[in-house]
Amino acid sequence: MNWTEYVRDKMGVLLSVDTWLPRDLPEYAFGLLYTLGSLTASSFVVLVASGILMAANGPQWWTVSPIGFFVRGVHFWAVQAFFFFMVLHLLRVYFSGAWRGGREKTWLLGTLSLLVAIPTAFTGYLMRGDFYSEWNAVQAKDGLNAMGLAWFNVLNAGQMYGMHVVVLPLVLSVLIALHITLIRVKGVVPPYPARDEDEAARRQEEGVAHAQS
Amino acid sequence: MHNPKQDLTHRYKYVRADFLKHLTGTTVVVAVLAVGLSLWFREPVRPALHIRTVATTTPLLFEKVAIGDLTGTGIIATYGPPYNDAVGHVQSPLQKLVGVIHPVNPAQDFILKPLGMVAVLNPQVASAMTVWQAASVGQREIWAANYARALAHARVVGKSVAVPAGAYGPVAPMMAGLLRLGQSGLMTGALNRSPADYQFDNQNALLFLQGAPLHQAAKKLELLGNQWGIIHEENAPYPGPWWMTIVTAIYQIPYIAHASGGDAVALSLGMLLFIALMVGPWVPFINEVPRRLRVYRLIWRDYYDRYEHPDGPPPPSAPPDDGASSP
Repeated sequence: MNWTEYVRDKMGVLLSVDTWLPRDLPEYAFGLLYTLGSLTASSFVVLVASGILMAANGPQWWTVSPIGFFVRGVHFWAVQAFFFFMVLHLLRVYFSGAWRGGREKTWLLGTLSLLVAIPTAFTGYLMRGDFYSEWNAVQAKDGLNAMGLAWFNVLNAGQMYGMHVVVLPLVLSVLIALHITLIRVKGVVPPYPARDEDEAARRQEEGVAHAQS
Repeated sequence: MHNPKQDLTHRYKYVRADFLKHLTGTTVVVAVLAVGLSLWFREPVRPALHIRTVATTTPLLFEKVAIGDLTGTGIIATYGPPYNDAVGHVQSPLQKLVGVIHPVNPAQDFILKPLGMVAVLNPQVASAMTVWQAASVGQREIWAANYARALAHARVVGKSVAVPAGAYGPVAPMMAGLLRLGQSGLMTGALNRSPADYQFDNQNALLFLQGAPLHQAAKKLELLGNQWGIIHEENAPYPGPWWMTIVTAIYQIPYIAHASGGDAVALSLGMLLFIALMVGPWVPFINEVPRRLRVYRLIWRDYYDRYEHPDGPPPPSAPPDDGASSP
């Protein structure tokens, strides 16, 4: 197999303007419920932007600067928005049966994003350097030690800082990017068939079964 | 029987949209929301519990923690991996398998090393330390155990702890010196000492505080595990990390709350639930639950109104791709 040809074939569609900037969308994919995924992604953008500002100024910036305190507040409310919209988005896609039509991996990547988002946010709480950080660190260590994850030392603020500002956001970014890519490539799941379509499908299947018997 | 992979409509049309404006709009909405909430409500800050605070406001508690570390009966001394070879808090074979990767010897690291620093500045502590070092291990254990028992009858006098007269050897001046170190505010620095002297790791200071001092403070704030502590946040209007509600709920089950391996069970159960959520699409029946629940009729209400209404528009021709939104 020619690797270059393979990547060119795949990337041609994946990186095309039509994939990422569609002019037309399916008629069923409009309205507030279809904005929840975008609001989740937008919250992540605000989180990354405010997080970069804070990382550039060090973990204790908020304790000495009113601007730092304000930016930490933006980061705090953005993470609340992130999970709020993400959970609503999860509920919408669940009740839509959004894994239909070969979209199982899209669902898997979305739920994986939620799974990784939890320790990402948790390590952020450890960065506050207040009582909440102390308490969460000593409480979480027992569970992590019990699970054989003592390497992830929640009592080591240096390690947790690296985890919070680089490692976990990077993993989360990749998962979210892959999730969105699959949505763009596979498309938003269409509705379940309307009643008449459903009935027609049932009749056809029954007819096939009858003919086979 | 419906096949979940094919159980979707094929009649719909594409309509013109401005995708870029949509994404810009949602980002602006969230940014304005986060900035506005930060300006209006600010954010939660709950002051940290310092060793100095514990030593100053509750000297007796400080000494009880310290003597537990010195005698080897404290929580960390009896914990086990990853801190030492004890077995007191070993909850699973995995914990044992990982081994001692963050070694801690509470008597040395929490008490004797900091006291060694105090001894440089305080001749009384220096003399006491000399006696301690010269004594046999058995003699040290007797002195420390006597002092630990005496603390049950001790009282606080000013900023000091007064114990009844007894055979404590040098332990009483050592504990008094350590208490003064705690009250000075220097003990946190004495505990958190990385080889490079750049202090990124606060493990030992947190482990020193992690028993009664932090638990007593947390209980007042209703942050204990059996108080739904993980998801609690400061007073209103601040929300807590509510996204950990499921794991917190598992900790409220009495069997798990009181089990010796409760943390391992709770986290394993939480992870199993999450895996069930992730693999749902591949599990027969589970992957059909949304179709049976029919909540989707509300989600696509407009769509069904349009195509199921007797006077609705004629069905469009099937799109070229099965649901793909790329036109």
